Amino acid sequence: MRRSTTPALSLHGIDKAFGPVQALSGVDLDVHAGEVVALVGDNAAGKSTLAKIVAGVLSPDAGLIEVDGRPVTIPSASVARSLGIASVFQDLALCENLDVVQNLYLGQELRRGRSLDEAAMEDRAREILRSLTSRIPSVRTPVSVLSAGQRQTVAIARTLLGDPRLVVLDEPTASLSVSQTAEVLTHIESLRDLGHAVILISHNMTDVRAVADRVEVLRHGRNNGSFSSAGASYEEVIAAITGASRPTAVAG
Amino acid sequence: MNEQKVPADVPAQVEDVREPDAAARRPAPKNGARRAGIPGGTAGRNLGLVVALAVIGVVGYLTAGGRFASLDNLMVILSLASVIGVLSIGMTFVITAGGIDLSVGSVLGLASVWATTLATQTMADQYGWIIMVGCALAVGLGAGVVNGVLIAYGRVVAFIATLAMMVAARGLAELIANRRTQIVNVDSFTDTFRGDLLGVPKIVWIFVVVAVAGWFLLNRTTFGRRTVAVGGNPEAARLAGIKVRRHTMYLYALAGLAAGIAAVMMLARTTAGSSTNGSFYELDAIAAVVVGGTLIAGGRGTIVGTVLGVLIFASLQNLFIQNNLDSSVQLITKGAIIVVAVLLQQRFTTRSSTG
Repeated sequence: MRRSTTPALSLHGIDKAFGPVQALSGVDLDVHAGEVVALVGDNAAGKSTLAKIVAGVLSPDAGLIEVDGRPVTIPSASVARSLGIASVFQDLALCENLDVVQNLYLGQELRRGRSLDEAAMEDRAREILRSLTSRIPSVRTPVSVLSAGQRQTVAIARTLLGDPRLVVLDEPTASLSVSQTAEVLTHIESLRDLGHAVILISHNMTDVRAVADRVEVLRHGRNNGSFSSAGASYEEVIAAITGASRPTAVAG
Repeated sequence: MNEQKVPADVPAQVEDVREPDAAARRPAPKNGARRAGIPGGTAGRNLGLVVALAVIGVVGYLTAGGRFASLDNLMVILSLASVIGVLSIGMTFVITAGGIDLSVGSVLGLASVWATTLATQTMADQYGWIIMVGCALAVGLGAGVVNGVLIAYGRVVAFIATLAMMVAARGLAELIANRRTQIVNVDSFTDTFRGDLLGVPKIVWIFVVVAVAGWFLLNRTTFGRRTVAVGGNPEAARLAGIKVRRHTMYLYALAGLAAGIAAVMMLARTTAGSSTNGSFYELDAIAAVVVGGTLIAGGRGTIVGTVLGVLIFASLQNLFIQNNLDSSVQLITKGAIIVVAVLLQQRFTTRSSTG
């Protein structure tokens, strides 16, 4: 595991409440460059809330966020982007009627003079898709004819345009077939190998064990165990997710 | 390729859009088959329109001979097409983004009246035709901005906001003109905009310039790309950092500006400002845009198709006139063409999406 000393993203004591419901209380999380951290937990454990805080969609009630060791606030999605944090949410937010290149560059089109620089966008799109070892046949394919896995690829590729420090993936393999899941997992490994920090939110323990370097468990909005992927047994992680064990008992 | 945007009649495909797993179940080879099939896409559709235009040409030649198939008559057809053509270019942008503008015909009338009032013409006598043109464009743009602000920021449904503008602009035009026809007496205006340039009426040249500019704007600029995106999935466009509301406002402003340009052309053609100018032109424009292949639900737009659609309706109208056929027959045919064109579009998109 390649690890720089300062985490790319560091969260300390994050609290978030929705009315009377305490979604997160005192959550800590560190992610380093070139590392895939899986964030697992049961439904309503606070995974997506944490992801949204990192993405700038929600703001925390309390706690400290550090990017490369500098304390930051992330009041909006565009601030998150400028801090080098890219997120792929469950609804992928692609335009079906546009092709792959058009979707990748939507809102950040390359221009030459007054007109669009299609050639440059196409070249860069191919390059990015190749770096993800993608199997999309043509970058001019409309998204409407792509499979769910290929759409996921496009969404992940889009995050790479800004060359982010950190990529947050919210349930990227939910509702994918086995081969599509394998494809997306390959992309996640590519992301790590390119030196990005990755937070992978997932229900699927098989996926998590396949690609994650570290597994962080959330339960009822609190940290409930941290496992090195190599050292942890499946039962230990499941126990932490379901609450059959206390964090002190499984600290890894 | 954008078949998912045809909603009501193909619910199964709409489901596909929302459910990734449903899309995943679609076998992959189908995509290949679809791409290799009938000339789909914009090129195929435009080819169909060219064929339709050719058929009208042949029928015209067979029934009316030289009266129809002459250079002079071609220029008549083109002049006829130009005013509605410019409106249709603006309309293409609005419809591509999933909107509608019912007010362009009335705004044309209002702009033509405002640009020919005694006050405007007196100033134009002194300072030149630019005063009249500036007035028409400003009125068009102003009305478009009002539409845009109501729709984008006031959250009024486009159909209703522009319907209100349609009624109000017509009323204001009547009020200003006092229901009289205002003849254009400014020589510099008529000298500049009437007559031919290189054997082609000047208003046809204006249409050509607007169409080329529209094509460039839609296909080669970020503005056009974002217009298509907003029409396809406004939420995705917003998440991609596009200011959807501001963009929507610009689109209606653009349609209004097109109505202002069309008003200038109307004044050049008829030399009269009247509150009845441009009545029902919005419907002709919408018909031309839809027949041209732009999806009424948004997400796909074609300027070439719109131009062809405008030419089809203009030559058809001329064909009926040359054969001394009643205008009521013409209207019925027009209605039938709209229905057939839309049915054909759906047939093609449905077939291509089911493999």
